[in-house]
Amino acid sequence: MPWSRRQVLAAGGVLVTAPSFLACAPKQAQPQALGSALLPNDPFLSWFGIDPATLRTVMAELTSRGADHADLYFQHTRSTSLRLEDGIIGEASARVEQGVGLRCVVGDQVGYAFTEDLSLPAMLQAARTAAAIATGASRPPPETFASTGPGDRYSLTLPWEEVGIAQRLPLLSRCEELVRSKEAAVSKVSVSWSDSDERVLIADSEGRISLDRRPMSRLWVSLVAEREGVSQSHGSNLAGRHGLEWYDEARLQQVCDEAIARTMVLFEARRPPAGELPVVLAAGASGILLHEAIGHGLEADFNRKGTSIYSDKLNQPIAPDFVTIVDDGTQPGERGALNVDDEGNPTERTVLVQGGVLRSYLHDRISAAHYGVPSTGSGRRESYKHPVLPRMRSTYMENGPHSREEIIASVKHGIIAETFTNGQVQIGAGDYTFYIKNGWLIEDGKVTAPIKDVNIIGNGPESLRRVTMAANDSKLDSGGWTCGKDGQGVPVSQGMPTVLVSAMTVGGTRG
Amino acid sequence: MDETTMMALGALALEAATGAGASGAFAGVGRTRQVDLAVRGEALETVSESTSQSLVLEVWVDGRYATTRTTDLRPDEVARLAREAVALARALQPDPSRAIPDPSLFAGRAELDLELADASIPALSHADREALCRAASAPILGQAGLISTTSACSDGEGLSVQLSSNGFSGSHRRTWLWLSSEVTLQDAAGRPEGWMSAGGPHRSQLPAPAEIGAEALKRARDRLGSRKGPSGRTTLVVEARVAGQILSRLLSPANGANVQQGRSFWAGRLDQPAVSPALVVRDEPLLARMPGSRLFDGEGIRAATLPLIEGGALRNLYLDTTYARRLGMAPTTGSASNRVVQPGSRDLAALVAGVEEGVLVSSWLGGNSDPTSGDFSLGMRGNLIRKGQLGEPVSEMNVTGNLLALFAGLAEVGSDPWPWGSTRCPSLVFEGVDTSGA
Repeated sequence: MPWSRRQVLAAGGVLVTAPSFLACAPKQAQPQALGSALLPNDPFLSWFGIDPATLRTVMAELTSRGADHADLYFQHTRSTSLRLEDGIIGEASARVEQGVGLRCVVGDQVGYAFTEDLSLPAMLQAARTAAAIATGASRPPPETFASTGPGDRYSLTLPWEEVGIAQRLPLLSRCEELVRSKEAAVSKVSVSWSDSDERVLIADSEGRISLDRRPMSRLWVSLVAEREGVSQSHGSNLAGRHGLEWYDEARLQQVCDEAIARTMVLFEARRPPAGELPVVLAAGASGILLHEAIGHGLEADFNRKGTSIYSDKLNQPIAPDFVTIVDDGTQPGERGALNVDDEGNPTERTVLVQGGVLRSYLHDRISAAHYGVPSTGSGRRESYKHPVLPRMRSTYMENGPHSREEIIASVKHGIIAETFTNGQVQIGAGDYTFYIKNGWLIEDGKVTAPIKDVNIIGNGPESLRRVTMAANDSKLDSGGWTCGKDGQGVPVSQGMPTVLVSAMTVGGTRG
Repeated sequence: MDETTMMALGALALEAATGAGASGAFAGVGRTRQVDLAVRGEALETVSESTSQSLVLEVWVDGRYATTRTTDLRPDEVARLAREAVALARALQPDPSRAIPDPSLFAGRAELDLELADASIPALSHADREALCRAASAPILGQAGLISTTSACSDGEGLSVQLSSNGFSGSHRRTWLWLSSEVTLQDAAGRPEGWMSAGGPHRSQLPAPAEIGAEALKRARDRLGSRKGPSGRTTLVVEARVAGQILSRLLSPANGANVQQGRSFWAGRLDQPAVSPALVVRDEPLLARMPGSRLFDGEGIRAATLPLIEGGALRNLYLDTTYARRLGMAPTTGSASNRVVQPGSRDLAALVAGVEEGVLVSSWLGGNSDPTSGDFSLGMRGNLIRKGQLGEPVSEMNVTGNLLALFAGLAEVGSDPWPWGSTRCPSLVFEGVDTSGA
């Protein structure tokens, strides 16, 4: 299939204001030797008979031609989705996905295979396939597997697997009712729901084993409104590793109010003038700037290959000294939160840029070994079908010294960007884009007319140098962002304080 | 798992669903084997091999509808999931638009060999794949300014079967082989990249591997020294290799779901002049050796040519059973197969030569479009055109407007349809387009 090295981020066009950053140190549980015992509540044993002896047998095959590292990634995911259109919840979908990915690493080389048949013969066949990358002497499997213990960043009191379909339906109906009651110009309401209950078991050639249960849910409200023969559409969504109780009346009101406000303002919105303008990035979802302008470029696979524009900038100043940028897997309930990454490493709060100086890349096991540093717990994959890559989790900028008001007041003629649909970056050139769905003109230091449908394009290092102000209102966006890289999508979070970039290329019109 | 076993599994799912009370059911069982191999520089970097299988089941129960999908194909689990799907449907509200496809739409299936499977592809060895990658990288290695190059081979074979409780039965077997190269070079400002990818259902469709590598290298070199171009209103020549992407934005809202849900700028415009008569597009599912070809679609509807844009107007929507019923129209097909644009008479060089001042677009970067209004804004890169000659490379530019207005301003279609993939779109020339840069 055609492919390229562009990385993309997509949300479907919405952001939701989120609580301030939540700090949580990763739990460092003591390793617990398992021997013939098993992890507590391990579905892979009870459902498929995956016991330590089976793991050793498959691991022995996987390292039969040698390996610097090898791992098995078992996954079982149950997901449910629902859709309301034209006042009817008329479509439901249930999905079960299970399999195991087997990886054999030799230096920077990777042999990978997966199977959805969890019988021993099928797993051994897949192990032989992945092992073919190696050409050395066999490496014995670990005698025992020791658990690093479960984390607690998203455990639910009522797991999605135990929630009945009838308990989900009122969420959709209520959203439609709220929208209809609040805005008569709305001609169509569609509400989408999805949730998943994912269990993973990761066992590696060093004898570590991790079991994680990862919930995810998302509620999406989309509207079409009509006024004087003109239609406009937009929406809003809520997402995270949350349970049913999180979707309370206040949050349903919030997502519906946002969907209405974002849609109705489009009737008044226009295109800004084309060209270079100062751009104020509103707090929250504007973290898309970080994701595209610097985040992908700091994923260490690009740097060890020398293909990132940041490949030679470690420990160099790349932004003003009030800029600190973090990628964090420890924030409870966030889409980017993880108890362990997909290599079984503890996740952490990784400071990428400290006081304007580039301090770290995002590492998986391979790049960490390449650079001789510890993994940052950033090894992620879409599913058992995919090998691990260094990926972002929750990327944000910390508070700066300015206020939102003084930032806006400082702009003579520019725009403010509020909601976004998607972004993209070219790693080597550093050129990136993001698409503004809602924004405003700033004229003489005041917010004036709404704008819409504007692509912004810039160069990552150049834009960071042009960050001239940052406010003290940093917050995470809780919308459902998904990051794409090498054909793999993973859930991520992002955040930002209000920030001024002194000049960016704004896709406007001449008319 | 062979075709007979897959059919039996599908039949088991249908039987379990109807036994649990479904009035209709439609099952699909698929199996895919894929191998990906990448060589970076002169070293083998990745070998990935996988076999994936899944079953998808749709059920209709007392006017209600649900779907289920699983990769766990143990017969007991399939039967359990079928019963669960019926229970899931029963929990929903009746929707009069939901119905199993009419069996009359299954009849008259073309009896053609679409030549979608090549037995030589599953027979490829890792050594064959590695040799293809190395041959692709050969023109790149050792070139001045090279930072990194990777060539990758992706091939596979897939078999899918579909069957329904009201008489549909069919299967598709297909293979594919793609070879790609990407190149990163060093220049003063950054690390410009170039890439090229080509392939198709048959190995014989693959060009010489060295051509792929050479093209990727050329594309990267073309980006050396690029800088921001000017803002203004100008002529865009969009290269064939990326023209299909802007065409896709024009046609993606041309379907029943978008129109019925009020999210399409095509609503109310069927058969109304809306774009340049220079644009003629058809959906062509019955072309041999095209990646999107098929004898029937996902609902079992027999495949046939679907005129999309002719005489400057949209002539048909993509319509599946559900949205056709809601709109009171006849189903066509719910999804695109191959989109084929009628070529013009002049090649890219002649198109560029005919432009006094403009921009040649060789790649897009990000951006989006609103299917309801047609408003769009896209990042682009390419070269300036002055007096019919290609000028310096430009980047960090946007093009902004409305899709209907853009295609109303389509001045000419080239003679050079891009031969890789399921969209055959030549280069396109648009006049009066707003660009933003410096």
